[in-house]
Amino acid sequence: MSARSFVLMFVLVALLPVTGLHQAKAQFLHPKIQSKETTIRRVVVLPAKVNVVRDSMKGPEGMAAESDELSSRVEAMVTEVLSKKKNVATLPAAGASADEQQKYNVADFQTKFDTLLPNIMKKRSDVKKGRFTMGDEVLNLNLEKGTDAVVFIRGEGKKLSGGKTAFTLLVGGTPAYLRLQIGIVDARNGEVLLYTDPIFPGDPTTAVDRLRKALEKGFKKLPEVKAQ
Amino acid sequence: MFPRKLTNFIVAALCLCIVFASVCPVAHAQKKTAPVEATPPPLKEDFKFGEVDLEVLEQVDLLDVRFERDGLVLADEAVNAYLRRIGKSLVPRGLELEKVQWRFRALRDPQPNAFALPNGSIYVTTGLMSLIDNESQLAAILAHELTHVMRRHTYLHNRSNRKKFLTMNVMQAVGAYAPLSVVGAVITVVTTVAPFIMMATIYGYSRDLEREADIKGIDMMISAEYPPEEMVNVMKLLDKDIEGENIRLFYNDHPSLDERIKYLSSYLGSRADTVTPQMELNRERALYFRNMESVMRHNVQLAVNSRRTRSAVYFAQRLVDFRADSENLFWLAESYRALGPRTPLLTEKELTNSAMKDAAKKREKRTFEEEERDLLATPAGKDNWQKHQQLAEETYQLALKADNPVPVAHRGLGMLYEKLERRTDAVAEYEKYLELSPAATDRERIQRRIEALKEKLK
Repeated sequence: MSARSFVLMFVLVALLPVTGLHQAKAQFLHPKIQSKETTIRRVVVLPAKVNVVRDSMKGPEGMAAESDELSSRVEAMVTEVLSKKKNVATLPAAGASADEQQKYNVADFQTKFDTLLPNIMKKRSDVKKGRFTMGDEVLNLNLEKGTDAVVFIRGEGKKLSGGKTAFTLLVGGTPAYLRLQIGIVDARNGEVLLYTDPIFPGDPTTAVDRLRKALEKGFKKLPEVKAQ
Repeated sequence: MFPRKLTNFIVAALCLCIVFASVCPVAHAQKKTAPVEATPPPLKEDFKFGEVDLEVLEQVDLLDVRFERDGLVLADEAVNAYLRRIGKSLVPRGLELEKVQWRFRALRDPQPNAFALPNGSIYVTTGLMSLIDNESQLAAILAHELTHVMRRHTYLHNRSNRKKFLTMNVMQAVGAYAPLSVVGAVITVVTTVAPFIMMATIYGYSRDLEREADIKGIDMMISAEYPPEEMVNVMKLLDKDIEGENIRLFYNDHPSLDERIKYLSSYLGSRADTVTPQMELNRERALYFRNMESVMRHNVQLAVNSRRTRSAVYFAQRLVDFRADSENLFWLAESYRALGPRTPLLTEKELTNSAMKDAAKKREKRTFEEEERDLLATPAGKDNWQKHQQLAEETYQLALKADNPVPVAHRGLGMLYEKLERRTDAVAEYEKYLELSPAATDRERIQRRIEALKEKLK
């Protein structure tokens, strides 16, 4: 094998996981959204839970502060994308002033989504059949009147240390990435109206533009609300 | 040719050296850990903080904040104070540990569990607090977790893991560039097997630390004058697998419960001077239930919400056995309603490792409602459903006949009747509930149900 073809093959092998990550995205809409029986105009975005780890040669290390920062950024960007691209308004969720019971209600509902998530992941396309619901307990969140849907955001990502980046290039392995799992649930009956899992390669803590683009692609199929 | 072969041979030899050098000290260390001599405070006095440890500390401090912010910590000051009192009684007097601030908190989680963060935060789930019988058992759990902090287990485990991960990565790099020859094949085999050995040592070390926490925990209980045999009883309670979740995996970070019961009993045999009389334990149990009643009720609600319906029935029945007041009866009725077509106890066959693995896979495939629908299609499921709905109705009625009846029992009856398609009765019960609880947080939900039912009744 000549040196040139070796280099070419090396580059291809190194890029394979990256291109794979770029393609892996999907979005599924409930039939009510597709048939426009239900329109999402106003949503409440629940606090995002995004976790990133720093993968070094000595194993994964937690990044709690960065994860919190990223969670807030993803939440803000989902709001921005929904507003700018789909004309969907975001209403405020119960703030820090919420009483303990309200805080518990939100926490329990977030847990309920986490319980349902493996079922959705097992067969994401069933969102199109309207198979998944979180029940009318969603009404216990006591959201503002006129709220159409609740947005749940989960995510996991990996940032590589310098050593691990070189190692990945030489030996192979998963590159740095961020994968989000976003569910939009009907605020009246708990039906899962949309599920999308945008994913992009790169350092999740710094790739702001890629995050925006991934979210725009993730919500591409969601019908745009006509401005009134 | 000769120099190339020699290089390959050296690489292969180095691979073997790296594997055995990183495994052997651990294997040796495994034999040295978990000493059983009774030494009072189980401290790790020679521990010096390094940069890596400080990073871990920073992470766990943020974890504390996150638990609080996300509504996972039970905001019940009386319960947290109770935990604090027991925890502090176990910590040797005057003990000051660098970068440790003791905090004892209840975590809103129906799964029985407890864990310690290296900064001194100890969390016990509501599920575990509801499972145990008395304060001494709670002390056993806290003593185990305190040992993890005092012996700096998290830091040591992290340091050990980092070395092993580095070894695994180096091995992987060597394996990726193995030459195509016999020596290359040897290198490939060695570097393929090495990660499995490394993983085994990571989990092995974790099990050793757990063993040490169990043994040292007993010593701490004795020092604080808690009956040490309750540590064994906690393990026996944990062995009661109500939901069929104790799946044995290929790698396990804790010793099996059977093994823990065995080594703790044998250690205790040489340490326990007296066994606490049953009468005293019963008295302690009643006191514990009085202190924990609110936590246990909260836990039944969490169990129902998270579809741990068998646990919900088990815990609610314990509450009713302790005191059959309106609220406890309401929770038992709610649990039976949620149990629906399921059996209240898993059979021996369902508790085998393979059956539990299958059930876990099925849980991923089917939602709770789909599982219920499938069970209702079977005669046994139908029988269970009828039995449990009847039990639920009777218990709701009992809750409403008791002193100071809780209005939520009307809501429960409403939901039961709605499912049984007794729509008029359901509307009446819902309306009664809203009349008695005008400021209920679920008012909108119930009102919508009433409207939907009335629509169907037209």
